[in-house]
Parts: sequence; C-alpha cells; structure tokens
Amino acid sequence: MQSGTQARKYRLQGAGLDLALPYLMLAPGLMIVLGVLVYPLWDGLRASTRAYRYGSPISDVGLQNYVHLWSDAQFLNSLWVTVKFVALSVSIEAVLGFALALFCLREFRGIRLLRTVLIIPMVITPVVVAIVFRLIYASDAGMLTVISEALGGGAVQILGKPLNAFIGLVVLDVWEWTPLMFLILLAGLQSLPHEPFEAARVDGAGAWRVFADLTFPMMRPVLAVAIVLRTIDAFGTFDQVFVLTRGGPGEATRLVSIYGYDTAFKFQQTGYAAALFVTIGLVVLALAFSAIRLLRRIDAS
Amino acid sequence: MMHSSRSRLTRRSVIKGGLGLALATTALTTLGLPMPARAAGKKVIIGAFTDGGLTPFKQKIIPQAKEAGFDIEFLEDEYGVTLEKWFADAQSGAGQYDLYLLDDPWVPQFGAANVLEDLGAGGIDGADKDWIGSMIDMGYWPPQKGPRVKGFEDAKPTLICVPFVGDLQTLTYRNDVFTGGAPKTWDEVIAKGKEGVAAGKIKYPVVFRGVSGNSIVTSWYPVFLSFGGAFFDDKWNPVFNSAEGKASADFFVGTMKQNAPSGVVEFDSDQEGAAILGGDAGAIIQYSGNALKADDPAQTKVAGKLDFGVVPKQQSAIAQMGIFIAGVPKSAPNKANAVEFLKWYTSAETQAKLSEAGSIPVKRSAFGIAKPGNRLIPVALQQLDAGALPRPRTPDWAKVEELLGIELNKALQAGSGGGAALDNAAKQVKDYLTTAGYY
Repeated sequence: MQSGTQARKYRLQGAGLDLALPYLMLAPGLMIVLGVLVYPLWDGLRASTRAYRYGSPISDVGLQNYVHLWSDAQFLNSLWVTVKFVALSVSIEAVLGFALALFCLREFRGIRLLRTVLIIPMVITPVVVAIVFRLIYASDAGMLTVISEALGGGAVQILGKPLNAFIGLVVLDVWEWTPLMFLILLAGLQSLPHEPFEAARVDGAGAWRVFADLTFPMMRPVLAVAIVLRTIDAFGTFDQVFVLTRGGPGEATRLVSIYGYDTAFKFQQTGYAAALFVTIGLVVLALAFSAIRLLRRIDAS
Repeated sequence: MMHSSRSRLTRRSVIKGGLGLALATTALTTLGLPMPARAAGKKVIIGAFTDGGLTPFKQKIIPQAKEAGFDIEFLEDEYGVTLEKWFADAQSGAGQYDLYLLDDPWVPQFGAANVLEDLGAGGIDGADKDWIGSMIDMGYWPPQKGPRVKGFEDAKPTLICVPFVGDLQTLTYRNDVFTGGAPKTWDEVIAKGKEGVAAGKIKYPVVFRGVSGNSIVTSWYPVFLSFGGAFFDDKWNPVFNSAEGKASADFFVGTMKQNAPSGVVEFDSDQEGAAILGGDAGAIIQYSGNALKADDPAQTKVAGKLDFGVVPKQQSAIAQMGIFIAGVPKSAPNKANAVEFLKWYTSAETQAKLSEAGSIPVKRSAFGIAKPGNRLIPVALQQLDAGALPRPRTPDWAKVEELLGIELNKALQAGSGGGAALDNAAKQVKDYLTTAGYY
C-alpha cells in the first residue's frame, strides 16, 4: 500500500513538473522581453499622459498631450515635412534600386566588384554622410560652390533656401539608402524561377514585355517589403538632418524626429514629446499593417 | 614553506568580505554618519562643452589647479548634447559630474528643477564686491532682479551657480578698413565697410549667424538692444515687437543681409569665425572664442589687422552676455572638493592668472592686472561698463528663442519683413507662455 501511494505521488509530481517545465524554460526569455521591450513601451505610454514641468510635481493630464498635438502648428508642419520627405525619398530609392538591381542581375566582368561598391553608402555612418554632404553643400566653401566659382558662377545656395535644402536632404537620403533597396531587390530577382523567363524568350517576348508581364508582377511582394522597411526607417531619420540643417532654413527640413528631440531635450517637455513619438509610432504601425494586408492581397491574387 | 592559508583568496572569503563591507556601509548610513564627500585626493570631475573660450582655462589653469592639490578630470562634449546630458544626470542623481560648466541661459532650468547645490550655504560669498555684478546676478535662482516665473514669486534667491569664465559679445573689426578705430554706430559699420569692399580689402562689410534658433537670435540680439528694444515686460508679456524692435529686425534682415555673404542664412559661428579670421569680413559681433585666435598667424590670415571694440550703437551700445557658469549637482560624488575648487578658482589670485592666460575673468580686480593675456580683456570691461544684458531669466527661453529664431530666419531668407516676423513670433511666444501658465 505504502509503495503504491508513493508511486502515485511520484507520478503526480512528475506530471506537475511536466506541466511547469515549459513555463520555467520560457521564464528567462519572458523576463527579458518584459524588461527590454514591454516595460519601456509601457513607460513611454505612461509618460505621454503626464506633464513634466520644472519645479512642479509631475501631473497626470490624460490625453491632453495627444489632443494638443493637433493644434500645434510646429508639430503639424514637421509631420507634413516628414511625409513629403518619406514619400519622395522612398519612391526615388525604389525606382533607382530596382533599376540597379535589374542591371546587376547580369553576369559580366567586374560585376562582383560593382555590387560591392554599390552598397558602400549604406554601411557608412549617417553622421559621417551628413558631414560629407555639408562639405559639398556649404555655400561659403562647399564643393559645389568651388566648382561653380571655377566655372565663373557664384556661390551655390543649397542649405540657405527652403526648397533646395529639402531637395538636398532627399538627395542625401537617396544616396545613402538606395543600396538597401538595391540589395533586397537583387536578392528577390535572383530567387525568381527561371522557367517562365525561358518560356517567354522562346515565345519571342521583348525585354519590356518580359519586365511588365513577368518580372514586375513576380517582384511585387519583394518590392512591397522593401518599401515598407524603408518607409519605417525613413520616418526615424534624425542624424543626417541634425548635422546638416538642424531643421532649417526656417522649418523646411524639420522632421518630426528633430521636433520631438527639441521638445524633449531642448525645451524639457518630456511628456509632450512622449505623446508625439507614440503618435508617430502609431502612424508607422498603421502603415506597416496596411502594407502587410496589401501584401496578403497581392499573394492571394 | 611559503604556503599560507592566510593569503589564499577563496570564494568564501570574497563573499564574507563583501558582506562585511555592505553591512558596514549600511550601518554608517543608518546611523546618520555622513559618508565622506571626497574621493581619493581632491578629485573634481568637470563637465564642459567644447568652446574656444575655455582654451586658456584648460591650458593654463588646470595645471595650476593640479599644483594646488586638485585632481581635475575635464570631460568635454559637443554643445548640442550637453544640456540634455547634464539635466538627465542631475535629475536622475546619476552623479557623473562634480561641476557643470553651464551656458548661462540654462541656469533657470536647473534652478527651477532644484537639482543644484546652494553654493552660498557652501561658503561662497555672492555679495563680494569684487564680482562683476551683472555676472554674479546670473547665478541666482530665482533671479534677484526682474520678473519671476510663476511658482517662484516668493522664493528666496539662492546662489546655485557662480560665474566661471566671463563671456560677452564685443565687436571684432578690421583696422585697415575702420582706420579711425572701432565703428561707433551700425551705419558706420555699413558705410565704412562698403568702402573697404570697394578698395578690395574685404568681401563683406559685416558677417553674422543666420541659422534658425539660437544662432540668429544671438546675432540679432545686440542689434535689437542697441536700437532700444526690450524683450518682455514685468508680467512676461512679449514686447520685443515694439517699434524699436521692429526697426532693428528690419535693419538686420535688410541692410545687414545686403552687406553680408549671400549664404548668410545658413551661417553659424564656424562660418562667421572663418569669415573674419580668413579676411573676408569687415566686422563681426562675437563671443570671445574666435577673438582669442585673432593674433595667432596659424589661425588667421589677417593677424595684426584685427582689433576689438564695444558693439555699435543706434541708441546705446549694449551687448548680450553669455558667460560660462558653474553649478554643483546635488548628486556630485565629490561635492566638498567641487566647492573648495570653486573657492580657489574664483579667488582674486586665480582670476588674475586666468586673465593673464587670456580669458575674460569674472572678478573686477582681475581686469586691472598689468599684463592681461589678451587684448580683448580691457575691451570686455569697457563693454561691461557700456552695457551688457543677459537673456531673460526663464526656463522656457530655449522655446522662446526657437519660435523667434524661425521667424527671423524666414525673414532673413526673404531679405525683408523683419517687423512682421517679430509680430508673428510675439503671437506664438504669447500663446506658448499662456499654455505654459505664465499669465
């Protein structure tokens, strides 16, 4: 009897351990996720509902910070500038990246070196890229001005004129991030099946027909992924603008990242800045979800 | 024969030792015994932002401090990141620094947040007549004079910072263009400057900082003050868009721009400095950083041709003050050392050495030494006596400056509309301060 009871006890203990073991194994990972991902997000959300003001106790203001954002002309301007910047930069990068990927799909002498050279801008630190572009754009001693003066022209005004500065920033971004687009799209092109292309060739289809009817439709999911990734990344652009223009002239290149940084650290409005970044996070999240749904539709079709 | 169990470091001994140390520390703290404020020696960790105005301090005074027994660790950062870094350090109590060398407009932010030590209680005499009055006034929070922000109307002014290196705007000009000495008025700057351009001596009569925000406001401010402008009334209502203010802004974005490089809209202090040191500019208004390089042939193409003077006037010749000012965070690991260092550093003797080294001192007696290390020093005293004002003492100055700076920058791009820019900025500033609870 005694041994039977003991055996049952051991079986129960064993069953309990079996049940608990997966959770015990998961616990360290879960703790890390909670600590480094969930807690900062929660803390950021909590901060966004508070007012931090020097010399005063921290106060809960509910959604007031979020409501105030939509009547803040500086925020709305920076959001509009960001949307324009992202739309223009990512579109150009997608087109150029696709063109470069198609070109580098061919095998010819020196192609490996060319592919390596093409991705160099992407691996340079953004701050360094910004400094280099400042040395090109500066109206007093920049490279463009030096060339212009050598040709008999005057100083080239890039950073002092709103439209020029904005375009200059887009050019910088395109130079730095087209390689990422190129890399993703080249990998996509290399993974396409050969048979449809061979069949098209046998049928005598021209290059444009092959691109329009085969390459582009098959590449659409990859292109969508690349665009989504770059869009999310471009919303967070900061270093280049911080070094190159600090948002100027006027507010022409003041992206939300710069406005948020100023709000948090220069103006010490931490709660309001948290609300701003949560809002931008939600916008980016919405974009990402929309893109994923779009991808599913493309897949289904 | 030398095997001894005493010398063996075992895991048990480490744990026991650590536990003992922890218990002893806890016991000391619990009993209320003060933990020693000093680290080994007289260590003082100074945080500073990179600026040419601190070069004499770094090169000449730190070695003397070491001779006086201080173990100085000097940590520099780029200007743009220091405010956020130190404010976070002070608020979190991280205790990474013993001394912050602040830019003076930051004093209200640190003061309102109550994160700096009361240096008066530490034995630093703010009433000492040897201080330059306008400089020591900047170290009090709330301010002893002028309007106070809400919540601090009745608070007793406390000395939370002491002036560290004097710095204020003065005029640097080409003595081969302005041959009769420093130009006295803005009209003279432009008229004589044009003659210098015509004679091929310079490219531009005047160069200034035009970048949005702090830069452009700093450049415009002495023009504004010299035209007779005032920034706020005693109730924090913006009054900078008065007739005088508008006239100064129109002059700045119009006449001054027409006589400056075409790209002045994007100029900051590096381009401004390059213009005067490179021989292109007839005159600039600047803080001391670049002025200290004016006699060094390695740093300027026109050594010997640069002189200093009081800022030009329209009604009066008033400069903006912007001193380096030192505060001791409440979280400083070597607080007592920091206060002791400040007493040594601000003594008349050390200030005289600072003056000899070429920096603008903060004690009046040091201006009178036989051999000041820089020609700028006596001019700085002239400027102080002629008139120099700090920026308004509010923790929200950075935001105010940003709003105004953007509008001024837009008018500068257009080359006109300075008055309208001030109206726009005044409305935005009023709205912002209303939201912030100023009225």
